[in-house]
Amino acid sequence: MHPQLQKLVALQDIEQMIAETQDQGKELEGMGFSIAGLEALKEKATKLAGEIEVRNLNYYRRLTGRFGHAVVPVVDNLCTGCFANIPASFVSATNENKLQKCESCGRILYWP
Amino acid sequence: MVIAEVLQHTSPELFLSDLKARNKPGVLSELVDKLVAGSPNITKRDAVLQMLESREALGSTAVGPGVAFPHGRTLAVQRLTVLIARSRKGVDFDSVDGEPTHLFFVLIAPPQDSGHKYIKSLAALTEKLQDANLRKTLLAAEDFATFCAALRED
Ligand SMILES: [Zn+2]
Repeated sequence: MHPQLQKLVALQDIEQMIAETQDQGKELEGMGFSIAGLEALKEKATKLAGEIEVRNLNYYRRLTGRFGHAVVPVVDNLCTGCFANIPASFVSATNENKLQKCESCGRILYWP
Repeated sequence: MVIAEVLQHTSPELFLSDLKARNKPGVLSELVDKLVAGSPNITKRDAVLQMLESREALGSTAVGPGVAFPHGRTLAVQRLTVLIARSRKGVDFDSVDGEPTHLFFVLIAPPQDSGHKYIKSLAALTEKLQDANLRKTLLAAEDFATFCAALRED
């Protein structure tokens, strides 16, 4: 996998965890889970974001603002963001070193 | 959400009868290896491991007694997946009460799931596992089927 994509996926996972903890912290604490590490987690997200190339990070931020999720999985050759067809050529070896974007909605594509 | 519904998201391939690892990083790694081996839909080992490690940074999921619930959402899975593991000797999983952890219920969910199935599953499990007798039975259960049968009982 493209190393930048790997970091973007990790960043999106962490940012969702932070958002959910802020939304549902009480519910989680009710189950006995501590959320004391929220600040540490935010620091981790900041550090991770710092490892991503600025233009990729800016693109990720723009998409997140517009769609909620910037990176979306491709399932059955479909972009799960907009359900446009993703050509099979997108997964070819020559494309492995590029960040792939959906031609229809622009979201960053991920093959889970 | 009832336990029977939660158990629909696991399988005998997602059951580790006795963990080999003896410490927290080792256990997390062994759990993720089993998730990848036991679930055809999970292939991105590193992404899942990284998410679970981040979750532990938020606060230990070993809320006990003797039980941990490593959980979270990641792009690397497409549906809610539940893995069950045991450690007969018990491991130091940084538990809230400082006691060793013997039972592990791992819940991995995709970024979006309708109706918060994942949070409800987590709530059902944490509540059910409050029962000390049940925990004892689960630790002694011979196999996956016996384990699940005990968990389903009221
Ligand atoms: Zn799209």
